[in-house]
Amino acid sequence: MKILKSWLNEWINLDNISDIDLSNALESLGFEIENYTEINPNYENIVVGKVVELYHHPNADKVRVTKVDVGSKIYEIVCGAWNFDIGAVVPVALPKSTIKDNFLIDERDIRGIKSNGMICSASELDLWEDHDGILLLDDNEKIGSDFSSIYDSNDSVWEIGVTPNRGDCMSHLGVARELSNYFDLKLASNSIKLKPTIKPILKINSGKGNGCLSYQSIEIENITIEDSSLKIKHRLSSIGVRIINNVVDYTNYVLHDIGQPLHAFDRDKLFGTISVRNAKSNEELVTLDSQNRILDTSDLVITDNDKAIALAGVMGGFDSEVTSDTKNLLIESAYFDKVSIMKTSRKLNLISDASIRFERGIDRNIQSFGLERFIYLFGDSSDIIYSDIQNDTKNFETNSSVKFDKKKITDILGIEIDDKFISKTLSSLQILHTLTKDYIEFSSPSWRYDLERPIDIIEELAKHYGFNNFPSTLPVGNKLNNVGNYWKVRKYFINKLSNLNFHEIQTLSFLDDSLNQIFTPELKSVNVINPIDKSQESMRTNLYSTLINTYIFNLDKHSYSGQYFEINNTYDMAAHKKYKSIPNQNYKLGILIPKKLTSTNNTEYTVQDLASTLRKIIPSVGFEKLQKPGFHKNNSYLITLNGSPIGHMGQLSYSTQHELNLNNEIFLAEINLEPLKFSSLVSYNYNPLSQYPYIKFDLSFKVPDDLISQKLIDEIELLLNDNENQISIFDDYTNEISRNLGIRIITRSYEKTYNEQETTEILNNVVSKLTKKFLITLNEKGN
Amino acid sequence: MPELNFDKVYASLNLRIKDITNIDEFDELTKEFLGKNSLIAEERKKLSSLSSDDKKNYGRKLTEATEFITSEIKAQRQLFLNSQFTSREEVENTDISIDWTPSRGSYKHVLSTVMDEVVSIFSSIGYEVAHGPEAETSWHNFDALNTPDWHPARYESDTLYLDKNLDTLLRTQTSTVQIRHMEENDPPVYIVAPGRVFRSDQLDATHSPVFHQLEGLAVDKNLTFTDLKGTLEYFVKEFFGNDIETKFIPHFFPFTEPSAEVLVKWQNGEWLEILGCGMVDPNVLSNVNYPDNYKGFAWGVGIERLAMLRYKIDHIKNFYDNDIRFLEQF
Repeated sequence: MKILKSWLNEWINLDNISDIDLSNALESLGFEIENYTEINPNYENIVVGKVVELYHHPNADKVRVTKVDVGSKIYEIVCGAWNFDIGAVVPVALPKSTIKDNFLIDERDIRGIKSNGMICSASELDLWEDHDGILLLDDNEKIGSDFSSIYDSNDSVWEIGVTPNRGDCMSHLGVARELSNYFDLKLASNSIKLKPTIKPILKINSGKGNGCLSYQSIEIENITIEDSSLKIKHRLSSIGVRIINNVVDYTNYVLHDIGQPLHAFDRDKLFGTISVRNAKSNEELVTLDSQNRILDTSDLVITDNDKAIALAGVMGGFDSEVTSDTKNLLIESAYFDKVSIMKTSRKLNLISDASIRFERGIDRNIQSFGLERFIYLFGDSSDIIYSDIQNDTKNFETNSSVKFDKKKITDILGIEIDDKFISKTLSSLQILHTLTKDYIEFSSPSWRYDLERPIDIIEELAKHYGFNNFPSTLPVGNKLNNVGNYWKVRKYFINKLSNLNFHEIQTLSFLDDSLNQIFTPELKSVNVINPIDKSQESMRTNLYSTLINTYIFNLDKHSYSGQYFEINNTYDMAAHKKYKSIPNQNYKLGILIPKKLTSTNNTEYTVQDLASTLRKIIPSVGFEKLQKPGFHKNNSYLITLNGSPIGHMGQLSYSTQHELNLNNEIFLAEINLEPLKFSSLVSYNYNPLSQYPYIKFDLSFKVPDDLISQKLIDEIELLLNDNENQISIFDDYTNEISRNLGIRIITRSYEKTYNEQETTEILNNVVSKLTKKFLITLNEKGN
Repeated sequence: MPELNFDKVYASLNLRIKDITNIDEFDELTKEFLGKNSLIAEERKKLSSLSSDDKKNYGRKLTEATEFITSEIKAQRQLFLNSQFTSREEVENTDISIDWTPSRGSYKHVLSTVMDEVVSIFSSIGYEVAHGPEAETSWHNFDALNTPDWHPARYESDTLYLDKNLDTLLRTQTSTVQIRHMEENDPPVYIVAPGRVFRSDQLDATHSPVFHQLEGLAVDKNLTFTDLKGTLEYFVKEFFGNDIETKFIPHFFPFTEPSAEVLVKWQNGEWLEILGCGMVDPNVLSNVNYPDNYKGFAWGVGIERLAMLRYKIDHIKNFYDNDIRFLEQF
C-alpha cells in the first residue's frame, strides 16, 4: 500500500517531521517499507499559456499549428493533440525546458514550421497516465505563471506492507493514527456537516443474515461527470490509482483516505429497494469489466427490485455503472462480512482495493463518515444537491471489556512498563481503558479486530515502546551440545560420503508416477491434488529416480557426471507408523554409482564398488540376494545390519536402463535411516595388534560361479579365530575351465612366532576345511 | 729423510676436487689419496724403517695429513651436494596457480552445510534437533498454529494438498514440528527443527516448490521477549560475524504474539530480513495442553536465504538443479 506525505498531513501535522524520521517511525510501528520515493519534479520553464490561434499545418495532416500566449510573448507551437480549441488554458514547455525522462524541449522545425516548445499532456509532465491529450487547466489560471506555482507536486511517497491483522491501517487515517502516538501529535477529526436538500427516491435494506451489517447510502443529483481537481489527481496517481473521472476518483479517494470502500451507482438505472442477499445458485451478473459471472449461494450481491446490480464489496455491475452521461448517483457505503468477501474475491480471482479492505475488516462505525467525505470532495462551488444519508444498520455485538493483571506485561516482555507510558499509548490509539494499581481493563475500538486478549494489548505496548529499545538476555536450553540421534546420523553419512567423493544432492520431492512404478509397483503413491504441473503430481516413493535424473542431467549437459547421494524423505499411501491420518514417510539415504563418470573415461565401477562403499560407511553391514523390480536379476541385494533389513542395493536392470535411455550401467542403494543408531555406527571393537611376525599364504581355488567369496573369508576368520587376520581376495578370474578365486591370508599369533611345521599345519587345515565345506579344489602349483 | 711434500699433495687434491662432476668421485678421491696405494699409504710403509723420534714425528704429520684430507673431502662433498640441491631447487619453480584437479568443495550440498552450521550454533546454547513429518495434517500445519480456516495462507493457490477434503497437505512451514514435539514432550522444550517445506510455486530464479526452513522453539517457565532478542542476536552474530548490526521490527504471524522480523545490515548498507520470530501465542500452548505457567518464543529462518546471502548465490533454482558445476563449489 502506498501513502503520501501531503495526504497524511491532512490528519496529523507532519511539517516538522523529516522523511527519515517518518521512515523510522513507520518501520518501528511494523509497517515494512518496501519503497520510498521523493517526488521532486522539475517544472522550470514550464508555464501556463492560452491558445489564441489554431490552424492547419500546411505540410502535415496529423498536427496543428497553434499560437500560444504566455504573457510575455506569443509562441508558435506545433501540436499533435486534438482535445482543445482556441481559448484553452494549457501547460507550455518553453524552449530549453525539460519534461518527463529528462527530455529536452527546444525550438524545432516540424515539416517547415518552427515550433517553439511544446504543449504538454499530463503524462509528458510525469503527472499521471493520460491518453486524452493535452492537460487542460482551469480557465482562471493566470497566463504566464509558473506551472509549479499552480501544481505543487513536491511530495514523498512510501510503499508499506500492512500485516493482515491490521486492516485498520489500510488508509491514510489509519497510518496517521499510529503515527500520532509515535510523534505525540494530535489526530485531526476532519468532521463534515452535510446540508441535504432533496428526498431520496430509492429505499435501502441491509438484508437478512449477517452478510451485511450496515448498508448506508446517499443520493446525489445534478452531477456533471468531469475531471477531478489537480490535487485529487496528483494524490491518487502518486499512490498508483488510475484516474477515471470525478465520481470514481472520489470513491477511490475516500477509500485511501479513511479506508471505507464506496460504490457509485447511476441512480437512474436502479429501481425500488436496494438490498443485500446471497446470490442464487448459478445466478448471473455482468460485472464492470464486462465479464459474465456465474455466482453461487456463498456470494453476496446487491440487488434492486429487478435483479442483482453488484457483487457486494468486490465489483459493481455493468448495467448500473456510472458513465459520462450519468446525471444522478446513489453512493453505497456498507459493512460486509469479511469471510464472505474473501471467499468470493478469491474464487473469482477479483482482488480489488475494496475487497482487500473488506476482508481484513473495516471500521464498523465509519460508513456515514465515508459518505460525508465523498460529498466534501465536490467542494462548495459544486452544483450538486443531495439527500440525507439513509442507514440500515443491524445491532452490533459491542466488544466487552477485558481485564488483566499488569504483572502479565513484565512476565511476557521481561521489562517493566510504567503506567504513564501505558496510559498515553492507549489513549492516543483511542483504546478505552482504565488502569488501577494491579489491573488494566480495556475495550477495543470499532476499527480494531486484533485486540481481544491481554496478549494483544501487551503486543501493542511493546510495539509502541519500540522493539529495539528492549534489552537482550540469553537463556541457555537444557540440551547443551546434544543435537540428538536424528541429526548425528544424518551428519555421519554426509561426512562419510562426501569424503569418499560423492556429491550430495537435493532434488524436488515430486515426480511423475510412472517413475515410482518402475521401482515400487507394490506401493501406492501419495498424490498432490493441486499439483504445480501434471508431471509433478506424485510424491516419490524412492530416491532412485531423482538420483538417476541428476546423473543423466549432468552427463548430458557436461559430458561428465559424478557419484551422488541424497538424504530425504520418501512417501507412500500406507498408514504412518507413528501418527494418525497421515501417509507413510521414511527418512532415507540414496546412493548412485555409475559405471563410468564420463563417456570416455577408462575407470569402470561395478556393483562391488557400491558394496565396498556401503561397508565403509556402515560397519558390519550385510548383503543377501533379493530380487526387486527395476533391478538386475542377480546383482540385487537386501542390505542388512545385525540381521535386520535396512535397505536395498544393486544394479539397475538392463530393461530399466534401456527404458531410461542410459548407455551405461548404474548401481544404486537406498537405506532407511530411521532405525539406525549413531552410537552403533561409530562404536565397533578394536582388534589388538599382535607383536609376532606374520605368516602369509596366497591360495587359488577352483570355485563355482555362484560362490559368495565373503563366505570363504568368514570361514577362514572362524578357523583362525584366535589370531589377528587380514584376509582378502586378490584375484577373481574365470577361464574356459572354471572360475578361480585368489585368497590372501595374512595371520599372526598373539602368543608366539610360528615355526615351519606350525605354518604348514595351519595351511593344510585351512585348505582341507575349505575344500570340504565349499566343495572347491585348490589349484596346485603348475595346474 | 725426504718427507712427502704435503703442500703439493693438498694442491693436487684441490685441483682434483675442482674437476669433480659426480658425487661418487669423492669416494674415488678418498681411495686415491688415502687408500692402499696412495702416497700417504706408501709413506706409512716407510715409517718402520725410521728412528723412533722420526717415526713419531713423521707419523704424526702423516696422521694430520690423513685427517686433513678426510675432512677436506667430507666438507667439499657436502658443498658439492648442497650446490647440487640448490641448483635442483633453482630449476624446480612450480606454478601452483595451476589447479590440475579443480574443485574446492567437500561435496556436501551447500544447504546441508548451512543447516548444520545453524544447528551447531543453537546446539551450543542448549537446543536439540527435532523433526516431524513433511506430509502433515492441516490441523498441525494451520489450526494448531492459530491459523483459522478462512486464512489466506490456506488457499489452494499457496498450499499443496493431499486430499479433496484438504485434511492433509505438504507442510508449508517447519512450525508443524513445534506442535508435534510439544504433543509428545513435556516442557521445558528447547528445539530446532531443520527441514523441507512446500509451496505451490514453479521452480524459477526466486521461487521453489520445495525449500528449507529451520524452526526454533523454546518453552520454559520464565522466558520473555528480552530472551527472544538475546537468543536471535546471538545466532546472527555467530552466523554473520560479531560486527553485524541487527534490528527487530514488528510483524504478524498467527502463532506468535508479539511477532517480529529480524533484519541485518548488509555490506552495502541495505537492511535485509533474515528471520521471523515472536513469543509463542497462548492459543498454541493451550492447543497442546501445556500448563499456563509456561511461556516461550519461536522463530523460523530460511536456509536458502542464508546460503544465498553467504555465498552470493543469485538463483534459488541452483540448489535443486544439482548441476555438477554448482555442487563442486561447496
